[in-house]
Amino acid sequence: MEEIKSTIIQRIKTHFSDATEKEYPYNRVDFSVKKETIPAILFYLKDEMGFKHLSHISCIDWLEENEFEVVFIVWSPTDKIKVFVHTRVDRENPVMDNVDMIWRQANTYEREMREMFGIQFTGLEAPEEFLLEDWEGPPPMRRDFDTEAYATNTYWERPGREDAKDIRETIEKRSGEILPDFAKKYTR
Amino acid sequence: MSFDLKGTLKPLTALKQFGKKPHTLVDVPSIPLEASDHYRGFHYNDLDECIGCGNCSTICQNQAIDMVPVDGIEGKKGDSGLRPRVDHGRCCWCGLCVEVCPTGSLSLTKDYLYVSDDPDTFLWTPGVDNPEGKERISFFSTEETSLNDFGRIPMPELEGMDRVKSFAEVVLGYNEVQARAEASRCISCGLCTEACPEHMHIPEYINAIARGNDADAVRIIYDNNPLPEMCGKVCTRRCEDVCAIAHRGDPIAIRWLKRYTTETVKNADMIKEVVNPDIQEPNGYKVGIIGAGPSGLTVAYYLALKGFDCTIYEAHAKAGGMTMYGIPKYRFPEESLDKQIEYIQKIGVKIHFNTKVGKDISFKEIYSKYDAVFIGVGFPKPWTLGIEGEDLKGSIQAVNFLYEINNGKTVDIGDKVIVIGGGNVAIDAARVSARLGADVTILYRRRVQDMPADWEEIEGAEDEGIHIIPQAIPVKFYPDKKGHVKAVEYLKADMVADEKGGRPKPVPVEGSNTIIEATAVLGAIGQQGDYSFLEEEFSEKVKIERGRFVVNEKQQSTLDKLFAGGDAANRSADVISAIADGYMAVKGIEDLLVKGN
Repeated sequence: MEEIKSTIIQRIKTHFSDATEKEYPYNRVDFSVKKETIPAILFYLKDEMGFKHLSHISCIDWLEENEFEVVFIVWSPTDKIKVFVHTRVDRENPVMDNVDMIWRQANTYEREMREMFGIQFTGLEAPEEFLLEDWEGPPPMRRDFDTEAYATNTYWERPGREDAKDIRETIEKRSGEILPDFAKKYTR
Repeated sequence: MSFDLKGTLKPLTALKQFGKKPHTLVDVPSIPLEASDHYRGFHYNDLDECIGCGNCSTICQNQAIDMVPVDGIEGKKGDSGLRPRVDHGRCCWCGLCVEVCPTGSLSLTKDYLYVSDDPDTFLWTPGVDNPEGKERISFFSTEETSLNDFGRIPMPELEGMDRVKSFAEVVLGYNEVQARAEASRCISCGLCTEACPEHMHIPEYINAIARGNDADAVRIIYDNNPLPEMCGKVCTRRCEDVCAIAHRGDPIAIRWLKRYTTETVKNADMIKEVVNPDIQEPNGYKVGIIGAGPSGLTVAYYLALKGFDCTIYEAHAKAGGMTMYGIPKYRFPEESLDKQIEYIQKIGVKIHFNTKVGKDISFKEIYSKYDAVFIGVGFPKPWTLGIEGEDLKGSIQAVNFLYEINNGKTVDIGDKVIVIGGGNVAIDAARVSARLGADVTILYRRRVQDMPADWEEIEGAEDEGIHIIPQAIPVKFYPDKKGHVKAVEYLKADMVADEKGGRPKPVPVEGSNTIIEATAVLGAIGQQGDYSFLEEEFSEKVKIERGRFVVNEKQQSTLDKLFAGGDAANRSADVISAIADGYMAVKGIEDLLVKGN
């Protein structure tokens, strides 16, 4: 296993000069590459190294670093090894290459990421809407998406909920506590 | 509601699906499929477990949960009496409400089908409207999966056997990082404020600490407690008993967080600067206060802020009452107290020390001199056991013993000390004796779990090597040739259930007499009031029942301008109740003098 893993690392690093590796225990190897390298490295992994199966594509919003991280997980049925390929995309202009010509099912993941994170895949052919019908808000899986504010602004209160009580006020009233105004900004 | 154009037209967008080929399963199963084991369907709430903290309602990002009163559920300490009701038109079944529920009462079930002709049945109170959900729970939280943090940040303390070497403070206090982490565990429900006799603004000051704003926390605390460092160290903290997090974990360390906050202001000048109290112009009213204990100091502080001229008469050389002379210094160091007294004096409260009312000044003089009088004299006189040999040399009352030690005197107790009693005074006397180098045994007539002392104090005593003999009733003290106590005889007791439903009673077992050696015996079975300073003309008019002043909800006694508080008026016998009494008396005195009712 260790031998196969080191061969994989060696071959990838020879072919892709921008790849940095990170080793994990058991059957996992991770690489980080520039986003321009993604189609090439995935083609290489699939066609030359036997990673025939695309397990998953995932996205992480690194809000503080102003970047998205896109992760491709591929699997080699012969070597029983999985490879994670990480890349970073600028959050302000999240554009990267479409890879659904390598694996057709990537199309579904890309549609989801387009809708949930707002990442544009150049050349992606798919209907605009995926899960969110008539969505007008910002991509909802972004960390700066304020779910509560969106819900408040988008939906309206149906009647019948006017009897809702505030816990703190209920207890305050019952016990005769007088909460000073300056303290109220710390109330839940 | 005005006409909602958007809401009316929106459903029409579904027409865009018109003409598309539907995806239809060929073989629709005739029996509805059972949902998977962890399916997130409709909510279920165990109404008895739920405490109405409202954490589910707060976390809900869709604002789908309201807290509403439910028939048959009364609010009480530790339970708001409200229960969550879910708007199923908004719920997205994310399950966050379940994951933040501190008690674990809220869960999701496998049920996901609900058909009704009435479009207004979207509001449900889980547990009330679907009691059958109990059998269908599929998604719930455990101590491990809950998003609440159930583990308390441990308080650094001196090791048990190191403590007995000196009177150094046992509890070392949180540092900033620890305090912020502990404060962040609070879910700010506020159930604790009802259990606190003084109704301190607990969620607000804890939140201020969590957000890193200690100065605001100090201001919020001083809003209704002028002795927070005292409470931060020795409070009986009934707030922590009802903490929502305590249902499945350790309660938030409310007392230690208050302690942390008050320690960020290092001296009286700093307190004044941070609290920056709004002291009103003198209003011409004069109030006399007897006793500089927690209740008297509270009355003086808040009345002084309102422009009253306050004078305290204190029999001893220092203020603080029992917290100065009763509580040992390893629990409540003198400099902590001094700092708070100095601050109260700084805002204009006058304290006459070493002035015992009834001896140095008559009560009558005070009563005629002031517009209102507050009595906070506490319970200074110990109860005696009433058994043979109690007046021998070496048989000392624990409160007197603590008074002498706290006053810097020495008391000869030898190396084998017996303490009689199970309250905080008994434990304090025992732990002080251990620090003086004695081998200490506590005799208590009931079981350890019946002891009225704080469990932390009892544990602390055990850590320090103090031996507790429960169910032991002392019957006789034996003298040596010089008339000094040398041994104590006690009977073992059986606990017999009380038919009236009270505490089980200890009943002595005939012939179980045991004798243990002693060089000193400290009696700590309780104290009582001493109102001998009241002249006859007053003692006739003011109503005293079972050793306590009879007062109304504003702490007013049967004499209009006489108010009372603290141990002399309430049965709780703790600092925070005394402060609460003082705070209520401030309202009473203000109403009487300024508002005229």
